[in-house]
Amino acid sequence: MRPTLSLIKREFTAYFLSPIAYVVLAVFLLVTGHLFYLTLNLLTESGPRGIEYPMQALLGDEKFWLVYLFIPPLLTMRLFAEERGSGTLEMLMTAPIHDWQVVISKFIACYLFYLVLWIPTIVYWPVLMGFGAIDPWPVFTSYLGVFLAGAMFLALGLFVSSLVRSQMVAALVSLILSLFFIVAGFWRPELDPSSLVYQIIYYVSVPMHFNREFTRGILSTSHVLLYLSMTVFFLFLTVRSLESRRWK
Amino acid sequence: MIQVKNLTKYYGDYPAVRDVSFKVEKGQIVGFLGPNGAGKSTTMRILAGYITATSGTATIDGRDVFWDPIEARSRIGYLPESCPLYTEMRVEEYLRFRGGLKNMAVHLCESRLEYVLERCWLKDVRRQLIGTLSKGYRQRVGLADALLANPPVLILDEPTVGLDPVQIRETRKLIKELGNQHTILLSTHILPEVEMTCNTVILIHQGVVAAQGSLDEVRSAHGCNSLEEVFVKITGITE
Repeated sequence: MRPTLSLIKREFTAYFLSPIAYVVLAVFLLVTGHLFYLTLNLLTESGPRGIEYPMQALLGDEKFWLVYLFIPPLLTMRLFAEERGSGTLEMLMTAPIHDWQVVISKFIACYLFYLVLWIPTIVYWPVLMGFGAIDPWPVFTSYLGVFLAGAMFLALGLFVSSLVRSQMVAALVSLILSLFFIVAGFWRPELDPSSLVYQIIYYVSVPMHFNREFTRGILSTSHVLLYLSMTVFFLFLTVRSLESRRWK
Repeated sequence: MIQVKNLTKYYGDYPAVRDVSFKVEKGQIVGFLGPNGAGKSTTMRILAGYITATSGTATIDGRDVFWDPIEARSRIGYLPESCPLYTEMRVEEYLRFRGGLKNMAVHLCESRLEYVLERCWLKDVRRQLIGTLSKGYRQRVGLADALLANPPVLILDEPTVGLDPVQIRETRKLIKELGNQHTILLSTHILPEVEMTCNTVILIHQGVVAAQGSLDEVRSAHGCNSLEEVFVKITGITE
């Protein structure tokens, strides 16, 4: 336990020692702040426009997801790629710690940072309540959805980072792979919603999950299961990738 | 303490280490010699648990490095040639992190930290960022890390490369002192260093063990006066 905690602590602090983390933090809060402003406008302006599900404006928005697309790759790119590049992976792999402990520690550290990214947005909640109560359940399910979806993207980024030596390549490849989960929702040909193709696209398209379900207070187990299983799958692959390094 | 039997490592088709066998008893300081590309670093990496051998076994204090990796690695203090460190951490921060990684209890870690900082002459730079340290100091941090958990075996890959003469002298002195309490396997190109610090020698050439034994044994077996002559004779480089 102590090796794992020690590694989590060091990886988490390492985020704050690099400028990337602060840039990501700033951009993210800027974008969510702007979206919050737009949501607030919709909620408080007089006239018939209004909005039924405020979280939808915040999280169902395409702009948000396009920015979000960049965040997990930027957070995870250095995790293994930098270690391989600088040779410190040798020191990590010759320490009396299991490979899965290394992977779990790095994942928890980047997930903690991801939580740090989202925690300041909690301040919007009392502000919104101050303007008149909004339904709390969709807020809760939206956050839950974001935390689970984030785990999936971060695990994907971690896996890609363990495969390559260059941080830039890790970021770009995990960006492209994340596109699979995000862009599917933007492509909106006039598909018949009951067709099989549409159902498949809907299953993997994360923004649509948020647009239709999480922001409306619906906690759909199929989506939760997707996020959890993909997270576990990518973490498993990362452990294997790390192990395979010993056989080269 | 260290037992290597028929160790073989192929990088693809290239045999880096071929059927290497040797034994290091407790308390010995072994000089691991060989020309570049002979297979020294590969053997050390296999012992440290970084890579796995293609065939053969290696055990540290009876623990197999492949089947019982955690136990084997916790008995080793390893310092690789490139001495990789996290440049954004401070010296004592890094050592505390390594102590945690090696599963040392906090109070033990603190007392050992003071001891290794003292022993490796790092007291003045303990709060300095590793990125700002010179090569010699970084090497010392690496050595401090290897010593931290007080492992019975030290595996040092070229510990004096890149150091200035004063530092080299001090490091050699330190290694000789450590030899009293630890078993040391150190690889080097500097033959006088081996003659000064080590009591046993293993010479690797093209992936096989070419000479093995105490200094006197090796010298007399090849009929040479100095280790350099033995080296040159075995590796076949003629004037």
